[in-house]
Amino acid sequence: MSTAAPGQRADLLDPATIASLGRIEVIARWVVDGFLTGLHRSRRKGFSVEFAEHRPYQPGDELRYLDWKIAARADRWVVKQYEEETNLRAALVLDVSRSMAWTGAPERLTKLAYAERLTAALALLFLRQRDAVGLVRFDDEIRTALAPRVRTGHWRHIVAALDEPGSGHASRAADALEQAGRLISRRGIVVLISDLLMDPPAVVQHVRALRHAGHQVVVLHLFDPAERELPITADTVFVDPESNIEVPATVQEVRSAYRATVNAAIAEWRQSFAAIGASYETISTDAPFGVPLRRAFASRQRVP
Amino acid sequence: MIDFLAPLYLAAAAVAAIPLFLHLIRRRIGTRREFPAVRYLARAEREHSRKLRLRNLLLMLLRVLAVLLVALAAARPVARVIGSGHAPTALAVVLDNSLSTSAVVNGQTVLEGLEARARLLVERASPGDQIWLVTADGVVRGGSRGTVLTAIRRTESLAGAGDPEHAVTVAASLVRAASTVAHEVAIFTDAQATSWTDPLSLGRVHVVAYRPRTDPPVNHAVTESAASPGRWTPDGAVRARILTPDSAVYRIALEGRTVARGTAARNEEVVVHATPAARGWMDGSVELEPDELRGDDVRRFAVWVGAAPAVAASPALGIFARSALDALVSAGRAAVGNDIAMVPANDVTTLPALIVAPADPLRVGAANRALERLGIPWRFGEVQNVASTVNGVPGDSSRLAGVTVMRRYALERRAGTDAPSDTLAMAGADPWIVAGPTYVIVASPLIPQATNFPVRAAFVPWLGDVFSQRLEQEVGSVINAAPGVQVGRPANADGLELAGGERLSLSGDSLTAPDQPGVYFFMHGTRRLGALVVNPEARESALARLNNDALAARLRGSDVRVVDDAATLHTHTLSSAPRRPIVAPLLMLALLVLVVESAVVGTGRRRAA
Repeated sequence: MSTAAPGQRADLLDPATIASLGRIEVIARWVVDGFLTGLHRSRRKGFSVEFAEHRPYQPGDELRYLDWKIAARADRWVVKQYEEETNLRAALVLDVSRSMAWTGAPERLTKLAYAERLTAALALLFLRQRDAVGLVRFDDEIRTALAPRVRTGHWRHIVAALDEPGSGHASRAADALEQAGRLISRRGIVVLISDLLMDPPAVVQHVRALRHAGHQVVVLHLFDPAERELPITADTVFVDPESNIEVPATVQEVRSAYRATVNAAIAEWRQSFAAIGASYETISTDAPFGVPLRRAFASRQRVP
Repeated sequence: MIDFLAPLYLAAAAVAAIPLFLHLIRRRIGTRREFPAVRYLARAEREHSRKLRLRNLLLMLLRVLAVLLVALAAARPVARVIGSGHAPTALAVVLDNSLSTSAVVNGQTVLEGLEARARLLVERASPGDQIWLVTADGVVRGGSRGTVLTAIRRTESLAGAGDPEHAVTVAASLVRAASTVAHEVAIFTDAQATSWTDPLSLGRVHVVAYRPRTDPPVNHAVTESAASPGRWTPDGAVRARILTPDSAVYRIALEGRTVARGTAARNEEVVVHATPAARGWMDGSVELEPDELRGDDVRRFAVWVGAAPAVAASPALGIFARSALDALVSAGRAAVGNDIAMVPANDVTTLPALIVAPADPLRVGAANRALERLGIPWRFGEVQNVASTVNGVPGDSSRLAGVTVMRRYALERRAGTDAPSDTLAMAGADPWIVAGPTYVIVASPLIPQATNFPVRAAFVPWLGDVFSQRLEQEVGSVINAAPGVQVGRPANADGLELAGGERLSLSGDSLTAPDQPGVYFFMHGTRRLGALVVNPEARESALARLNNDALAARLRGSDVRVVDDAATLHTHTLSSAPRRPIVAPLLMLALLVLVVESAVVGTGRRRAA
């Protein structure tokens, strides 16, 4: 199987471009492979107390992890990698409501397509770190609930579940978060991937509950760039695909107010999650998959 | 108050409804588009709705205002604005230079005072103004300020009344036709009552009339002068009427030679008899001592003086006719000869002739044949033996009044003839004495059994007048005219003898009377063929003036003002009408509004970007 492009890391490519090259599992593997290749740049990533394997030295690796014996014996520069313990249980909570199945431009992935590939990559990443990973898909109801497993074959179940139908007319994230909490019996990590087009109080309340249960919570707030910028120029009647609410607007007149409102909403989300110790990141669907992976994995490193 | 030169363009203001319409329906247009983040949009509109509404309202108002301003500008508004100068004005100066303005008051003529005021006004005109000078004779002079000032300086009093009312009408037409912003007629007149008799309708033109405050001088004038009769053979009389508040010394002259002097009382008719030795057409004058108004101190007349007509009377006419002729001959008003025949109709063979109805009814047939043979368009009808009283026609009534007719023939117009003729007297309702160019017909025999006319005292003078005024050779007539008016050209006149013996060739049916008073003789070749006597209108000698209100009543319009002092005149002319076009300020304001609109839109776009 060939990679996306020789010499290029898939986690840094344009998501739409790389998504066009294969199915979810293929894309996820490329992304994770690329992502793991770059992990050595992080001081704290991938180097636990239990030795796992060697890999070729790359500029930037800390010299203290250099295996001097091999260097002396075989004149090869390799670094030692260590595995963390596989005691972490992760739950990926994916919003598959109808609002997610939208893109502001044909050349971009829909938020759902982006989120599905991100979810597959995250799951694979967790599994490769010997973490148990589960999946909860929800819209106006919980569509999928896979308990965390650490088996390698479990990833295929997760990928298969991503193909199941969704796109309901609401996003009941509270139920999904509650379900995720039930799936993780001991302290773990819950990653919520959603456009968060829902009422904040219920979501924050259940995130707070997860935090009280000792779980790390990572919220990846997906945005299509058009949802941030509102680049439309004509007078338009905007229709909410979930609620069918219509809002007529002269975009030129409301664009600045709209952007301010979106930024205010993000700030509110960020403040709410920060107050309860949850991580919150905004992800644009035109950002390479490596971006959310790094942010989510950074949270993984903070798991006690 | 704002006026519009092109008010139809105000309809363009309806375009202002477009931004208003767009503002009202804006939310109903546009494409539908699925957008998940509607909650943010709704929240943005909710939180910024007041600001957005204000901005949209401001934009709508600015756009409506811009359209309205452009529409107003297109309608070419003019309005009074604060500032110096005056709007481009079509100014017509009416300078009343009629004869009465030549009266001297306080050492200068009235016209000089009016000219000074008019010059002060014209000197304030700017290059953007259109200026005309209209004088009382209707002459229009237009051009630059300097041209009009020169024309004013060169304006002299007319020898007659002119027509100031017509001049004002012409002036109003001139300014109305101009495309300037303001239209103004300035009238400078002595407000003589006889010049302003009919109300003038001047419409919406701004009219300022200036009249002097001074009282008119006491005037003595010759208002009538004429030779009586028009032909002297060779004696006659001069009749004159003098306008004077008390008395005036007059002199009557013929061909420059004094005929009589005297003093005339108020309203007295002066009659002076004269028998000049000279023959032919001659001019005469009635003159007064010079006073403040010189133009009406002399009044001319013309008279033809000739020998007594030679008359041959038929014995068949009877004793009364022959006796009357003998009396005329002995008085020198007639002579015995063959120039004029006085015969019964049945015996008439030549013209000119005084033709009398035959005493014998049996001769009526012969009489009618004789009349027809001479081309006379009358014939005798049935004899009328009914007494009737003669009614004279104007001019002859004095002599014929009271005459009774007992027998007469009906005078009938011959069928198929249209030769001109006059009816000199009527008996009852029928013509009794008729006349043509070379004949006079009396429908009764001149005997007491038929009419008492031959035995009345008026018969002889009447007979003399018939011979000298009607049947004498054609010598032409006198035409009295005012200076500058059109008169008919007498038949056969091919020239007009001017003062000093110069000759002016004539053609056409009419001619314009000379501007200067005098006696001008019509000529046919080298022979005088009548006279044109040019005198000022008698009414011009009445110098009574209208007061301000009375003059204003003659000048009917929506914006008429009569002033009698220089300060008020200055206030209400030119500077008083600073109605200027405000197109440029409106367009600048519209531009400013559009700039503000662009700024508001740009601010919104920058924020949106």
